[in-house]
Amino acid sequence: MRNKFLTYFILVVGAVVFAYPFIWMVFATFKPEFEISNLYPLSKNMSFKNYSVVFGKIPILRAFFNSLFVSLSITFSVIIFGSIVGYALSRLNFYGRDFILMLILFTMMIPFQITLIPTYVLIVKLGLVDTYAGLILPGMMSSFSILIFRQFFLTIPASLIESARLDGCNNFQIVFKIIIPLSKPAVVTVGILTFMSSWNEVLWPLIVIRNEKLMTMPQLVTIFVLGGQAESQLGVQLACATLLALPIVIAYLFFQRYFIESMATTGLKE
Amino acid sequence: MKNFIVLILTLFFISCASDVDKNFKKRFENETPKRVHLKYWCSANPQEIELAKKLTEKWNELHPDIQVEVQPLPAGQSSEEILLAAIAGGTTPDVCSNIWPGAIAEYVKAGGLVRLDEFEDFDSVISARKIPRDLLESFRSSDGHFYQFPWKTNPILLLYNVKIFKEAGVEKPPVTYSEFFSVCEKIKNLKIGVYPGYTDTRPIWWQRFFDFYPLYISASGGKTFFKNGELKIDTISAEKVFNFFKTCFERNYFPITNFQVDPFLTGKIAMRFTGPWTISYLERNKPSDFEYSFAPIPVPDDYRGEVYTYGDPKNIAIFSSTKHKKEAWEFVKFLISEEADLLLLEICNQLPIRGDLLENQKFENYFNRNQKMKMFARQSAFTRGVDEAPEMKEIFDAISHEFEACSVYGAKSEREAVRNLVKRIKVILEWSK
Amino acid sequence: MVKVRRSENRSGYLMVLPYAVYFLVFVAYPLIFSFVLIFHRWNIVTPMEFISLKNFVRLFRDELFFKSIINTLIFLSIHIPLQIVVALFFANLLNQNVKLRGFFRALYFLPVVVSGVVVTILWQQLYAYETGLINQILSNSGLRKIPWLISPELAMPSIAIMATWKNVGLYIVLFLAGLQSIPRELYEVAEIDGASGLQKFFKITLPLLNPTIVLVVVLSTIGGFSLFIEPYIMTGGGPMNSTLSAMLYIYNQAFYFNHMGYAATLGFFFATIIFIVVFLQRKFIEREVY
Repeated sequence: MRNKFLTYFILVVGAVVFAYPFIWMVFATFKPEFEISNLYPLSKNMSFKNYSVVFGKIPILRAFFNSLFVSLSITFSVIIFGSIVGYALSRLNFYGRDFILMLILFTMMIPFQITLIPTYVLIVKLGLVDTYAGLILPGMMSSFSILIFRQFFLTIPASLIESARLDGCNNFQIVFKIIIPLSKPAVVTVGILTFMSSWNEVLWPLIVIRNEKLMTMPQLVTIFVLGGQAESQLGVQLACATLLALPIVIAYLFFQRYFIESMATTGLKE
Repeated sequence: MKNFIVLILTLFFISCASDVDKNFKKRFENETPKRVHLKYWCSANPQEIELAKKLTEKWNELHPDIQVEVQPLPAGQSSEEILLAAIAGGTTPDVCSNIWPGAIAEYVKAGGLVRLDEFEDFDSVISARKIPRDLLESFRSSDGHFYQFPWKTNPILLLYNVKIFKEAGVEKPPVTYSEFFSVCEKIKNLKIGVYPGYTDTRPIWWQRFFDFYPLYISASGGKTFFKNGELKIDTISAEKVFNFFKTCFERNYFPITNFQVDPFLTGKIAMRFTGPWTISYLERNKPSDFEYSFAPIPVPDDYRGEVYTYGDPKNIAIFSSTKHKKEAWEFVKFLISEEADLLLLEICNQLPIRGDLLENQKFENYFNRNQKMKMFARQSAFTRGVDEAPEMKEIFDAISHEFEACSVYGAKSEREAVRNLVKRIKVILEWSK
Repeated sequence: MVKVRRSENRSGYLMVLPYAVYFLVFVAYPLIFSFVLIFHRWNIVTPMEFISLKNFVRLFRDELFFKSIINTLIFLSIHIPLQIVVALFFANLLNQNVKLRGFFRALYFLPVVVSGVVVTILWQQLYAYETGLINQILSNSGLRKIPWLISPELAMPSIAIMATWKNVGLYIVLFLAGLQSIPRELYEVAEIDGASGLQKFFKITLPLLNPTIVLVVVLSTIGGFSLFIEPYIMTGGGPMNSTLSAMLYIYNQAFYFNHMGYAATLGFFFATIIFIVVFLQRKFIEREVY
């Protein structure tokens, strides 16, 4: 049917529009400077020269590990604390529970624009500028994740929890031994969302970190591209961008489904 | 799974602890009298890093009891932010050699710098360098003291492509604005795709050091913006400079674009305003038959006298957080010694701030091998820096906005632009009081 | 009813304690401190100076700040409609019986995952005037080159287009999920009644999709108000301040010029505007879905 053909045609055009720029970029990083602007990706003079410049000039590998460490720490912290608090809010009854819940909702409504600068001042006063702690601590907990966990935990049958309690488990054991294993979808969702957003975060590191050795990957690439070190060599800039994109794209290739589903469920939950 | 969590948390606490541990070590190390450790920050520029490394290696050999660790300033949009943040965060080094005089006022206000004229031999060391009087005075702070040691300067000159000039029939580099325009006209008619000149049009405040500011200094005969702490812009010269660039953009002598690949090397532009640091870059990257040379920057047609320019001076300072003032001063003296100055010339192609460059025998060999640098050396006596006023960054930011609106996009007249500029600077100054 | 046990109280408090501490340190303190900072002048290094309402006086005379807010609003007014139209379009296509739906969906989603820094560097090459890819395609086809990032009128729209390219994958996914939750029977009934494609779209699809649309609008608005890294890298706020977003201006005031008190005031004012806009949006766009 003609309609079908049209549909597929548009979809393919869309695919090209969304994917070809990346393909072009990757191939451009292997080309010598004067050939980069060519539309056609391949060239006769491919080499790794641009990458060797990048590795020689900036500690990009170190930045990669910085990002990895910071993002993993934040993700684990958000999952652990998020599930603890989410459990308490969904399964325990205590005086003031609803008040805390309101606080959390309130926090979510506050635009970061107003807290950005005072938080930076706080970090300076605590002496945490240019430290990993300065990057990790403000992101350690996420109201959004607490709500996701709470929502999910509400669906866990009370009988399971009761029987665990009868077996003598305290609340912490209940969370770690029973609730979390049963909440894979929520954990995955929160994990992926948190990891992705902390990995791509660049404004906060720009503010808090000045020492090149501690910079996260997006931050290092930003500064390299904006400063004079790249000596306006286009291939080197693109090589940087490619290296920055690589980790998350690889993760995406393997965990695609989880990425997409996580984002989709947050939409529906709203 | 649990073990993984424990592992991550442990790693996290270890990293936090190692920060605490580092502070402990620092304090402990600096208290033992055996070895003195100094931290020295240099610019992020690759040649300067090489120079700094060589100098500190030499020093460390000669002074096993005073060890210096060199670290390049983290690269970013400007090192002034970084230094001010370091003063705020208490992470300053002992010595830094990338001090921009325009920011000295802020550093001094924050109490971050050591008074250099406290040291007994300061006067003799300074006079040995034979710096021209008015240039030296421009580095003295408003309280009468010296917080910076004059180190290097990079006079801005006109760089031009010799081949393109020959092809276009240009016999000698232009001296006045009119001559400049006629050179541009000849080059423009030469062939498509070659622009006579170029300057980065992005409204980033330090870009103006390579277009507006040098030409303002030359048009006004060596004036800056302030005199005796008061705002005294030479508005007529400022208007002339705005008009100069406006003409260049209007007649398409300068393209309005951001080149991603170096346009001078690829022959896309014939002229550019730049400093001596470009020489090592050009030498390393130029195609084999490339020829270039330098000339003083153009002046208005009715100008008479010496041609002044912007010198982009960078100086050395000792931070007040240092625990070893004397040793730091010794190191600074080493950094400005004749041997170090020679290395500055050899490795970075940048000029030490001294008046005897062309007379001193030690440098003769270098200048004979680098004839192009002679022009810079001669110009170095006729340079100006920036005033030591608060909010210099914001002032240049304001200049950038007016430059963009008036010269690049032709959206307002020069008179309006200068009037706006003066108004805005007054507001900036008022807000800083 | 659940009996409240004493031990449960204790457990509850213990478990919520970490959040309470975090809230006090990273939410309450900054909020309160920002109210203090608003009335002072400070550059972090020298002591704070109390200047009462001067920051507000300065704000209301600050043409550049208001321009930055207008720039941000211009960005949103292009970005949001464009996003909704494109996302709805592709989601509709994918909603039909298409093979490889997962493949297309994953491909469209790719730019969402990648850092904004990468996208900006890449698009700087697409948009470059002389050598950029887009202008090359145009001039090869005999058309004139477009000054994407150089013209003060086109610069912000260009950034809006880039932002749409980056984010639309997410909204395609959201719309797709929304579309798939609409029961088929509704369409079948409408067809029996003789409804055309367009009628079906406007009378069934859109109203039922309303919650998703609201979500998309609110998410893009909040994201759009945070516009920072793209102008920071691509244009530095130019040309002629046309791409100076509010966040970029606040960042410059705080971390370039070290006007902490003034920047906090700007942040406070800006946050208030965001509140109002989101509130208005919900009021006008949200409809009951029954």
